[in-house]
Amino acid sequence: MSAPSATVVTDLPPWRRFKYPQSLIHFGALLGVLVFLAYSVEYLNIPLERLLTMFGKIGIQLSDRYFPPDIEYIQNRDYFGSVLDTVQMAYLGALFGLVLSLFLGWFGAHNVTPSRRLVYPVARLITMICRAVHEMIWAIIFVTILGFGMLPGVLALMLFCTGFAGKLFAEEVEAIDMGPVEAMRATGANGLQAFVYGVFPQVRVAFTGIAIYTWDVAFRAATVVGFFGAGGMGWYLKRNVLQIESERVAAILLSIILLVFVSEVASAWARQRVAKMQ
Amino acid sequence: MPILEVKNLAARYTNSGPEILKNLSFSVEADDFFAVIGPSGAGKSTLIRCINRLVEPTGGEVILYGTDVLKLSSTGLRRLRRNIGMIFQEFNLVDRMSVMDNVLSGRLGYVGSTRSLFKLFPRSDIDRALRILHRVGLLEFVDKRADALSGGQRQRVGIARALMQEPKLLLLDEPTSSLDPKISREVMALVKEIAGEFRVPVLCNIHDVQLATEFCNRILGLQDGMKMFDGTTETMDQQKLDEIYAMEVL
Amino acid sequence: MQTEQQRITADQLLAARSVTRWRRAAVVIALFLLVAWSIKITVIDDTDWERIGSLGSIVEKSGRFLALDVSLLPKLIEPAIETLMIACLGTLLGVVLCIPVIWFGAANVTPFKPVTYPVARMLMTLSRSIHEIVWALFFVAAVGLGALAGVLAIAMRSIGFIAKISAEAIEDIDPKAVEAIQAMGGNKLQVLRYAILPQVLPVIIGVTVFEWEINIRRSAILGLVGAGGLGLVFFRQMNTFNYPGVTTVILAILVLILLGEVLSHYSRKAVI
Ligand SMILES: Nc1ncnc2c1ncn2[C@@H]1O[C@H](COP(=O)(O)OP(=O)(O)OP(=O)(O)O)[C@@H](O)[C@H]1O
Ligand SMILES: [Mg+2]
Repeated sequence: MSAPSATVVTDLPPWRRFKYPQSLIHFGALLGVLVFLAYSVEYLNIPLERLLTMFGKIGIQLSDRYFPPDIEYIQNRDYFGSVLDTVQMAYLGALFGLVLSLFLGWFGAHNVTPSRRLVYPVARLITMICRAVHEMIWAIIFVTILGFGMLPGVLALMLFCTGFAGKLFAEEVEAIDMGPVEAMRATGANGLQAFVYGVFPQVRVAFTGIAIYTWDVAFRAATVVGFFGAGGMGWYLKRNVLQIESERVAAILLSIILLVFVSEVASAWARQRVAKMQ
Repeated sequence: MPILEVKNLAARYTNSGPEILKNLSFSVEADDFFAVIGPSGAGKSTLIRCINRLVEPTGGEVILYGTDVLKLSSTGLRRLRRNIGMIFQEFNLVDRMSVMDNVLSGRLGYVGSTRSLFKLFPRSDIDRALRILHRVGLLEFVDKRADALSGGQRQRVGIARALMQEPKLLLLDEPTSSLDPKISREVMALVKEIAGEFRVPVLCNIHDVQLATEFCNRILGLQDGMKMFDGTTETMDQQKLDEIYAMEVL
Repeated sequence: MQTEQQRITADQLLAARSVTRWRRAAVVIALFLLVAWSIKITVIDDTDWERIGSLGSIVEKSGRFLALDVSLLPKLIEPAIETLMIACLGTLLGVVLCIPVIWFGAANVTPFKPVTYPVARMLMTLSRSIHEIVWALFFVAAVGLGALAGVLAIAMRSIGFIAKISAEAIEDIDPKAVEAIQAMGGNKLQVLRYAILPQVLPVIIGVTVFEWEINIRRSAILGLVGAGGLGLVFFRQMNTFNYPGVTTVILAILVLILLGEVLSHYSRKAVI
């Protein structure tokens, strides 16, 4: 018995890569996106030809204006103080935000929310608004209401972290195994008890990871909120940008990059530890 | 005088969905080890869950120790639930919590919110937990995490948790389906012994007819949400079994 | 006898628990004091309570934001479009710039691991570490005020996350497909095209759409430092103390973000 050869079959169905309605829609959408992008370049007056020479120019500018960074400028007590302020602002904002987001994560998770009709949509809406409004906008608003200082910075970071972590928490809670929660309810536990004993142990590790991630984001933002008057290093940045003290700006930027880098490395390490805890 | 009386019970999951339980009536006596058997999808789990209202029945009555369960407020329901132990097919333990904390969580209905927030259980509860863990043979595992245990051991933790509640009724939803035959038999034997010691009636869903006839004194046969059989184990015979499981053969 | 034994276990257990409980309580109290100290320094000492005034005046000042300036709406359309376009172009440029970073940064395809791999990882961290406002400041200084600075800032800010997730996806691919192509004599490029790309393309597209959504949020504020779009309008409303206008701009940003969410939801469904 020989294997059936391909030539035996006579009426093979025709096959083409291009399938009539789907492929057309597909390519049409792609074309639409491309046209939109090209039009955007036109609309925004972006000089494409300059883009090519630009990298060279930026190099020249960097060496010209920003080099050498005025390291001495940032080596004084006041600046170190502002760094400390930044760290404190970031962790207070993250801490308060995380506490609030714990509730949003609980109330805004579809499977364990106390009420799907009322509490759930409200929690979702709050999370959504906190998240969507940029932390700098929060900072500006709080500065107008409360004046310059670290309090508006802490509040802005808090709201931002609330939204940021709240969404992630809720997603994490929605992915749990409901069996233990049901078991707790069956023993006569109330809502709080069912959360603390049935839900929280299942998400604790994930929450720790999210908390570390929130710290990263909060610290990164904290270095800049001062730009709009909310305390910390950002204020130095603002002052020197306005006075076109480019070498000082370079030094400040370098210090920010360095600090964020250190914090990222530390939290990457912490995250690994947490992952090992599983 | 029956302990649990179910009258004309009806249940459905969605308003437009099919009726899962249809006009079901039976009663459980103080010393019963009551089995509910039936093919998959017959509504056994739904029935068990209707007793403590993890599923809300749509009609009928559930009378437990003289109270109408379906008329209770949410506080009243929690009060009631703390005296109904429940044991699950998938154990429903919190994997990341220690055996001790899993067992203690059976006391949640008795402990206030603030105390339970910080895991401050009274001394008497801890004593009780240790006694019960000793009884189910798990004393050496108190500080192990629940996910470090084998299936049979996990189910025994589940039993211990239910016993912590000082139950006046035990509900078992296929307690042995996740276990191998030998362990299944051990677990059932343990439940039976304990039910005798603590003098609790048991209502038990079970897929395995062999186990049901071996351990239970009464059997309720369900098919498609309807009662097909209700009587003592002796009166059950092959022909009636075939009737109950007819759907599955087809 | 047995109960005796049990008693001992109970006592031991309680003792062990109380030790850990005390230790935990000590840590909690220490942390609590630290937080209290920070609150004192940052919030209580640093705030000019005189200027803030009473609770009533805070409520009054906040209340100013609770209005809408409808006359502003027509003037928001153009900046909104601009913001959207900056986000789109920035994301696109970011993806293009990403390609070499992804290639270098995936341990299993990087050309010369001791050098290219750490360099790519560094770039990824650098891109994510710097806040978009800082990137924008930098590019405004380099190429002047306007949309271009915004596009570049968004692009630079996006590289890190897209590249990181994509590189990790490449590291996690199923090596069997690669082997299969190699076994039939495929060269490196063919392996890339027929074994690796099909596996990771959904991830790359997914993360790009995700980043694009975030970029709308970012590009909406770049105007604060002179990079065009809604941020510029926001800044002007703020400077002229037109608080209802501020709220209007924020709502416009929310609408834009919502639009982005809807679009990304559908495009993700279409692609994956
Ligand atoms: N949460 C739910 N929502 C909607 N329908 C459900 C739900 N749970 C169960 N059902 C339906 O109710 C019917 C009875 O299910 P039930 O779990 O009570 O059966 P069972 O007898 O316990 O079966 P098994 O032996 O497989 O556990 C099934 O048709 C099932 O599809
Ligand atoms: Mg079942």
